[in-house]
Amino acid sequence: MNSLIKSASHYFSVYKNFVSTSTQVQASFRTSFILLIFMDLFFYISSLASVSFIFDHVETIGPWGREQLMFYISYMLVIDAIHMMMFSHNFWQLSLYIRKGDLDFILLKPLSSIFSCFFRHFRTPALITFPVALFLLIYYGIAVDISAIDWMLMPLYLTLSITLIILIEFILSTAMFWMVEGTGINFLRMQMQQLARWPNFVFSDYIRKFLTTIIPVLLVGSAPVQFIYNKSRFELLIVMIVALIVLTKVLNTLWKVALNNYESASS
Amino acid sequence: MNAPVIRADKLSKKFISYKKAPGIKGTVSSFFKRKPIEKYAVNNFDLTINKGEIIGLLGPNGAGKTTLMKMFTGIIVPSTGELNILGHRPSDRNLDFRRKIALVMGQKSQLWWDIPAMDSFLLLQKYYEVSEQNFKERIEEMGTILNVTSLFHIHVRKLSLGERMKLELMASLLHNPEVIFLDEPTIGLDLVAQENIRNFVKRYHEKTNCTLILTSHYMQDVLALCKRLVLIFDGKKGYDGAIGDFEKILGNNKTVNFNFSNSQNIEEDFWKQYNPLWNEDSTQVEIQVPEDEVRAVGLEVLKKYPITDFQTEKMPIERVMKTLMENPDILRNQKTP
Repeated sequence: MNSLIKSASHYFSVYKNFVSTSTQVQASFRTSFILLIFMDLFFYISSLASVSFIFDHVETIGPWGREQLMFYISYMLVIDAIHMMMFSHNFWQLSLYIRKGDLDFILLKPLSSIFSCFFRHFRTPALITFPVALFLLIYYGIAVDISAIDWMLMPLYLTLSITLIILIEFILSTAMFWMVEGTGINFLRMQMQQLARWPNFVFSDYIRKFLTTIIPVLLVGSAPVQFIYNKSRFELLIVMIVALIVLTKVLNTLWKVALNNYESASS
Repeated sequence: MNAPVIRADKLSKKFISYKKAPGIKGTVSSFFKRKPIEKYAVNNFDLTINKGEIIGLLGPNGAGKTTLMKMFTGIIVPSTGELNILGHRPSDRNLDFRRKIALVMGQKSQLWWDIPAMDSFLLLQKYYEVSEQNFKERIEEMGTILNVTSLFHIHVRKLSLGERMKLELMASLLHNPEVIFLDEPTIGLDLVAQENIRNFVKRYHEKTNCTLILTSHYMQDVLALCKRLVLIFDGKKGYDGAIGDFEKILGNNKTVNFNFSNSQNIEEDFWKQYNPLWNEDSTQVEIQVPEDEVRAVGLEVLKKYPITDFQTEKMPIERVMKTLMENPDILRNQKTP
């Protein structure tokens, strides 16, 4: 237990430095820093506006009315904000590390290479837009009248969701070790995020099953939000937890194979 | 007798690449069908290094030096063979192993480009869990010796190559590693910067008795730091032994140069026995003299000819290295210890 706490504190202290160094780098490019904030805000507005526009013409989408779907979209915007803040930039960097051989130094560091690869770059501008996403979640959460227990469990739901989506993306990214060029993988990854942005009932039966069990991207938002709306819908949450365990194992195995396949760039 | 710190046994690394014909036709054809080309960057390489040794790992470009370094540090996994460093198999990438080693690459940087070096040092301090006191002491000490304390707070991208290299060295040594791999640490540096780096490494080794493996194309680096040389050609070990023995690999002759105040008769029998190389106007000659005759021959030439200047070879290692690079087959007839 002691060693676990020590290890966690070691990782946390390194992560604090990742945040600090990333912030310094981004703050030195002021225009880009401000542009990223506006880009995120624009994305939030367009996401909500498109759903609102649809509801100007229909009463419900599947079993959900306007407020319910807006809450779902807000939930996914918070996931997106955390993703942008903590992970997004790292996926783009990974293929550069592999191509240029910069991964060499990461592999030498005495910490998990998954941690060093995927947590290294922190996007500080997202810290400013994150409260906006959080505000939207609270606003629509109040509108759909979610229970006090669900508010308390919200950090857990969000943690499960973000862990699931990044595990799927980490696994997809290991393909970069073989492909070297990572653009294709990164676009595929972004498509996964797009799929997760909609509740599972908008997909046809076969696609829904495939995207719930084989590539469980539809569980990211649908599992916790459907449980919030209806406590008898806990089966998706259980599938989500099973998926998290299975994907962690798959990632660890694949990552090891991928690193053994790494050839480094010649100097 | 020191225990081996590094033991490589029949170590090999095979890479697969593809050949592509030029132009769009070649691109289309290689998109659908690729013919793999297998190449051994390192082939059946054996090596034992004891604690505290400094080894010069030399060879021409593409010989496999960097591939060896990357296998030693666990960055890449050997195709076959066994490797043991400080009781660890590097390819297992054990965290304890990573704390004990350091790699400096002259052509790659581990410092963050867009922030000052001190911020990278602070990150490394956290990575390696270096105590606050040790961190301050090491930064102070190394910074002073390398004369770079004034550069700690300048963005790395604004520094010169020499300045950056000194800071790279510091970054790699902050955690007090037991084994240090220096891959061309002086490449591209001016003479003064090269000397600074060499002196620093020498001093650091004297203080810590760490084990050092150095690759470099500059023979001054090797002469200043190493007692033992390992040569690699086409992935195979060509020589492993003392520098002194290496210098005599082509024989015991020394090269001596003489400059004359006027043109000399190059047909004289005296010169012919020493395999002379004359310049165009016969005012300069380079001769090969047996090591034990240098004094006598020197005196005779000084007495008989109008000498304005003369030098004995300062770095026979450079001549031997050049000759071997041009004709690596010479080594096939040599026995290595």
